[in-house]
Amino acid sequence: MTRATLVLAVSLLLCGARGLRAQSASDLLGGGVRAYQALEYDAAAALLERSLARDSAAGLADSLRARALTYLAATELFRGQRDSAVAAFRQLVLLNPRYRPDELIFPPQVTNLFQEVRRATRAIAVAVPPVTELRTRLERFTARVLASSLADVTVTLAQEDGTPVRQLYSGPVADSLLVAWDGLTAAGAPANNGRYVLRVTPRTPTADGPRARQVVLEVKQEPPDTVAWPPEPAFLPERTSTGPAFRSLAAGLVAGASAVALPSILAPGKAATGARFAVGATVGVAGLVGFFARKPKPLDANVRANASVRDTWKKKLDAARAENAARLRTVRLVVRAGPDTIAERGSP
Amino acid sequence: MRTIGLIGILALAATAVSDSQGRPTLAFRGDAGFVWVRSDSAAMGTAGAARLRGPVLGGEGRLVFNGFAVGLGLSSGTLQTADQAVKRDLIEGRLVVSARPLPWLEMSVGPFVRAYVTDSVTERWVFWQARARVDAPIVTASLTSYVELWRALSSQVNLVAGAGRVQGGEAGVVYRPPQRPFSLRLAYRMDDAAVGRGGRGSETLEAISLAIIVGER
Repeated sequence: MTRATLVLAVSLLLCGARGLRAQSASDLLGGGVRAYQALEYDAAAALLERSLARDSAAGLADSLRARALTYLAATELFRGQRDSAVAAFRQLVLLNPRYRPDELIFPPQVTNLFQEVRRATRAIAVAVPPVTELRTRLERFTARVLASSLADVTVTLAQEDGTPVRQLYSGPVADSLLVAWDGLTAAGAPANNGRYVLRVTPRTPTADGPRARQVVLEVKQEPPDTVAWPPEPAFLPERTSTGPAFRSLAAGLVAGASAVALPSILAPGKAATGARFAVGATVGVAGLVGFFARKPKPLDANVRANASVRDTWKKKLDAARAENAARLRTVRLVVRAGPDTIAERGSP
Repeated sequence: MRTIGLIGILALAATAVSDSQGRPTLAFRGDAGFVWVRSDSAAMGTAGAARLRGPVLGGEGRLVFNGFAVGLGLSSGTLQTADQAVKRDLIEGRLVVSARPLPWLEMSVGPFVRAYVTDSVTERWVFWQARARVDAPIVTASLTSYVELWRALSSQVNLVAGAGRVQGGEAGVVYRPPQRPFSLRLAYRMDDAAVGRGGRGSETLEAISLAIIVGER
């Protein structure tokens, strides 16, 4: 057996064991429910307690945990263990303040006890979506604050080290409340990358009051996608070319210079009359006349056509500039939320 | 060399006529100019270098068809020294066949005769010229400059020393007034003819001329 095969086999065994333990918690819950329905309350209590005793990784999900606590409370009540039933319901209220036992399943003495405990147990919770993508200012990150009974709370956002970022809400919560955050700090700037803590705290903490809850938020900025600049249109020439003017000048100057230079080229060393200068100068002046006659002139029709095209292009350019400025003002945030946990007393 | 030149003329003319599609047109040019002649050949009947000058009148007619042309020109004038002690008549004549391979380039070839005539003797030059002329428009269709160079393919002179290298050139400007059937031309020309193979002397002719041209050239 190779080393790789050995590693694979060990990994499979470990994964199988974890799956077996998770299955066992669920099975224990199922067995406990069946025992309860068979009126075997001692067995039901034992199975349900064992299902709840699992650690969080291999244990029940919150919804199944709430179900297990409900059946356990009912079982303890029918076993005559009222204090144990109250304790179980109290755990249930702290787990999910909005949970209610099904009145079609549980008899009134059970639901009445639950309502009694719920009224006595003041609990709050916070529920957030696992991942939220938002554009700052324009869109919102939402958190639902849940309360078992009327509570005065403060919802704050702080950096992981406790530095306050923004207070999102302060006031009463009767049942549930939706709190929104637009991604900005108290100073109006988009939140920087980092870990933040969304905390729901009772405004007047008491020993028997609800405990503060918090959710860790991982915030990451994503650069905005700006629009491309509109391409510059092909403008028509607004002036005639300078080429003909310079060609005219060159033609005159070269021919004039040739007239002056002819004796030196054809009969070097021999004296020549000044007639060549008269002709050379005349031809050169003709070149200058040609230069000024053909110098660049504005093309009015093209200027008008270009003005229209340029205006349209500038409007597109301004629109793209404004759109990009708006996009750059609204940073896109990705907020990943951790689980709702109880805030430690004295924690920031 | 003369035979080659003649064959060239006939070939150009034949090609031009055979390719001609439109009707030939005629063009005429009338010149009025002033000529300076400087001779170191002692052949002008003067002792040492001679410097003659004088006005010249001339003209040329051309038959033009499809970029080809055949022209015949003649000019004449009387030259004299500054003290008017020596006088000579100058007579020039030429036959030219030309073609335009490019709109701005004219190539031509033909015989040229120049004679200095006195009562007692005539100095006569005969040479076959190959000419190249470049036209450079300054203002399209109305003002054009040009430069023309030529060289003798063969030359003869009735001097004992004989003819040597003969070459020349011309530069000028042509102005065609708008809506007018003629053009005006101002030109400066210089010809230099060596006498004898060893360069024992030379005759240099300079001319400035104003011409009127009628018809398309």
